[in-house]
Amino acid sequence: MSDISKNKQKTKRTNGWEEAGCEFYQENYCADWDGFAKNPIAITTLLPSKQNRLGTSKRNYTQLDRKQKICWQQFPSTTQRNYQQNDGQFSLLPDLSQVINDEEHIWEEMFQIKQLPLAMHQKKEFKLDLQNATKLRLQGFNQLKWKHRKAWQKIALEWTKFSTIIKLWQSSLKDIEGHFGSGVAAYFIFLRWLFYLNCVTFLLIIIFVIIPNIMTYEKYDKCKVTQNLNRSNNCLTQDIDRKTYLDLKSGGSFNLLDIVQGTGALEISLMFYGGYSNNTVGIAFKDTLNSTYNENQHSFYYDLSSAYIFAVLGYFTTTLIFIVKASAREFKDRLINGRWQFYQYCNLAFGGWDFCIHNEKSSVIKHKAVFNEFKSSIHSKRIETERNNRSNDYMLKLIMIRIIINISVVLTLILSAYVIFLLFNMSLNQGHGKFITINYEEVNSFDTVNVEKPISLQLLELFFDFAPYICIVFLNLLLPAFFKYLCSFEKYSPLFVIKISLIRMIFLRLASLFILLSRFYYIVIPNSDTLIRKSVPYNCWETFVGQQFYKLVLTDFFSHLFVTFCFNLPRAILAIYFNNNFVKFTCEQEFELSKHALDIVYLQTICWIGSFYMPFLPALIIGIMFLMFYIKKFQCLINSRPTKILYGTSRSNSLFMSVLLISFIVSVIVLTYAFAEVSPSTSCGPFKELKTVWDAPLSTFMRMPIFVKDFVFFFGTPAFVIPCFFILILLLYYFYAVSDANKNMVEVLKNQLVLEGHDKKFLLTRLLLTHQDTQE
Amino acid sequence: MGQTKSQFTDEELQDYEDLTFFSKKEILLAHKKFKSLAPEKVGHNKNAKLSMSKILQYPELRVNPFGDRICKVFSSSEDGDMTFEDFLDMMNVFSDACPKKLKAEYAFRIWDFDGDDMLGVSDLKQVIERLCGPENKLDDCDMKEIIHCILAEADFDDDGALSFPEFEHVTDKSRDFLNSFRIRL
Repeated sequence: MSDISKNKQKTKRTNGWEEAGCEFYQENYCADWDGFAKNPIAITTLLPSKQNRLGTSKRNYTQLDRKQKICWQQFPSTTQRNYQQNDGQFSLLPDLSQVINDEEHIWEEMFQIKQLPLAMHQKKEFKLDLQNATKLRLQGFNQLKWKHRKAWQKIALEWTKFSTIIKLWQSSLKDIEGHFGSGVAAYFIFLRWLFYLNCVTFLLIIIFVIIPNIMTYEKYDKCKVTQNLNRSNNCLTQDIDRKTYLDLKSGGSFNLLDIVQGTGALEISLMFYGGYSNNTVGIAFKDTLNSTYNENQHSFYYDLSSAYIFAVLGYFTTTLIFIVKASAREFKDRLINGRWQFYQYCNLAFGGWDFCIHNEKSSVIKHKAVFNEFKSSIHSKRIETERNNRSNDYMLKLIMIRIIINISVVLTLILSAYVIFLLFNMSLNQGHGKFITINYEEVNSFDTVNVEKPISLQLLELFFDFAPYICIVFLNLLLPAFFKYLCSFEKYSPLFVIKISLIRMIFLRLASLFILLSRFYYIVIPNSDTLIRKSVPYNCWETFVGQQFYKLVLTDFFSHLFVTFCFNLPRAILAIYFNNNFVKFTCEQEFELSKHALDIVYLQTICWIGSFYMPFLPALIIGIMFLMFYIKKFQCLINSRPTKILYGTSRSNSLFMSVLLISFIVSVIVLTYAFAEVSPSTSCGPFKELKTVWDAPLSTFMRMPIFVKDFVFFFGTPAFVIPCFFILILLLYYFYAVSDANKNMVEVLKNQLVLEGHDKKFLLTRLLLTHQDTQE
Repeated sequence: MGQTKSQFTDEELQDYEDLTFFSKKEILLAHKKFKSLAPEKVGHNKNAKLSMSKILQYPELRVNPFGDRICKVFSSSEDGDMTFEDFLDMMNVFSDACPKKLKAEYAFRIWDFDGDDMLGVSDLKQVIERLCGPENKLDDCDMKEIIHCILAEADFDDDGALSFPEFEHVTDKSRDFLNSFRIRL
């Protein structure tokens, strides 16, 4: 016995309270010797490591016990010993041994009660004790500090209460969780997160771009009427053209087709890029007209074009911050020695069951899923060794199959890209191209007579207009099924199958987007369509691009609506009522997380790329996301059965975030290129007098005070860059060294733990033996 | 709502609010759910003791393979019968706001079937058996291997059982634990 205590004392001497705990253990140990004789295994519960824990199982907390548990958190060890000495009368006497605490201390403890693993009535008692305890009043600065903290705490509390109110769809989430587990619910939480993200970022655009534009809208038109003659002569003709065009557009009839296509009055409204102005609004001036061009340095001015670009930049930065914040933990955990994989079995055993499941049927499936997961992880562990022993022939065949399938996937992708390309060309020539030229001619000849087109022609136009988008959406629906079918030949592990089919689907979607963008590019770049551009005085390609994105989003949304309610629902109904194998095979659906996540991310990608050309696109996406929640919920709860694959929350979250991050990077690259290389159209939008969009922030920068400029330029000089480079490298090396040392330390500590464990076991068996000896 | 409210005094509600992670509204909601398990009994006495079989009718507990263990752990009389306060304690631990440490503590108690304050081989075996459900039986060989793997991952001091610190470490690293050990009110 003394062996143990000595040993413990040696190791624990460093820590005050642990030392005291050790003495406590000693006392208790002596007292419990008889108990030990009856039940030798109980000795393990007497070990100090057990005593120190906040609550050990089964033990009913007595008054004394509880005080001690609380005390080790808060008081130095000396007070603890006092308890033991008078524990007989302890419960009867007022707690004199305790140091009298000040208000702040008591207040803090009050908050910690709820973190204790105690039953309610014990917590209540403890609260009463705390309330009745004598406390010192805080004085002066401390009082102020405490009040400050209290206020903050209160605000935080109110905020959490408030945030539970504004959290949408709580009951829906509970329902989904109950049926499908937390992995699928994570998808819906992700959807909600995107919804909020768009709300926040759109708010940014509203405040900095849309509201200033609305406020200056009227003045802008007046400016155009009283043309500024000494500005430039091409501005004059263009403005007249523009004005007629605008009149024509806003005067025209406003019908459903216009809404769907984003033409008519919508085209020139603030919805699209073309509706925005490049004015500079001076606040200090009454006459905003003059301030537009008399850049008076001393007044406060608001440059709408800079605001536009900065709002877009801010939009992307905010988004990036949100994404990074949401995925930081994910990446951190995955980076550090892939710990996620490391705790595979524990994760399954201790996190395998979703406590939120409340549905009989899904619980059965969940059991099955957990069982399968256990089986497959054991199985994959076993075949890991066998895999190396696969016969050469077999491997060769498999590799051949995989190569062929990959080639065919690539071919399919290229083919589908080509189809989109063709259709887009066709739609441009047949439908939209004609449409544009007609309008432009009208404008050219100042012919404001509204040409009435027959309905059939309009519908045809509509069809050609939407043909590429319908094709894209169709391919997006069809090809994943095809890829999935191909995948079944490749004999990958189930997890890898999800990943690879996801990658293929991402490629498909990106390919279609890329084709779309490249087509836009050819239209936009002057030398390809010089003819059209010259003949067209008012040509706003940004608005055109915005319209295309608008149509794409609408098509995508309606396709989801259609597929969910008109295609999947009948299938689900068939699957319920026919117990036929074929019907079961074709009609039963599972909620494939990766596919649905991709749907959402795809919308978001379009939103990111398109938001520059159509500032109201985020608003549209907000609305669509809102409806998508219900569509997907319907698809999930009514059309689908629970999946047999076990989606952990962590697994699905990292999936969503990585897909989102990829698409974010792609859209940033695309937009950066567009900003830096493509010249904005000359007759509309906030950047009409600039060569590239980047010039707007650059000119704003040039207008800044000289010291700011100097300061920023300093960052570019070698005097800054070279030392900075060295410091960064040194820091990098330092952190590398630290992490290396930590890794070593972890290893050493792990070994030590094992040794301690062995020692403990050995000593306990020795103790048992000696005890038995003495008994005999 | 008015009727439910009248069952609690303001002080009681304040107490509950201070001692749990719930707001007053959520506490009343919890009581409503508790009441729905046995409307008459609870209507008569708001803190009535309901038998374990009654408590197990709560949807999430009914299908939970560890339902009986949960009842026992949270029951103040240790026989699985629960009063409203016990029920509130339980929902408190399963709530979103509850810190990981507290959750781990109770999870440990729930899975510690034999009550020796260690998750030994027999405990782990029961956990896995219950997780897989009555229909799906793992054979002995697989079971042994799984338990071996779990211990290899988490049993740092190599004593053949998970102590609480080891268990807490594992739950700390496993994000699924925090997300799955949760029942929405």
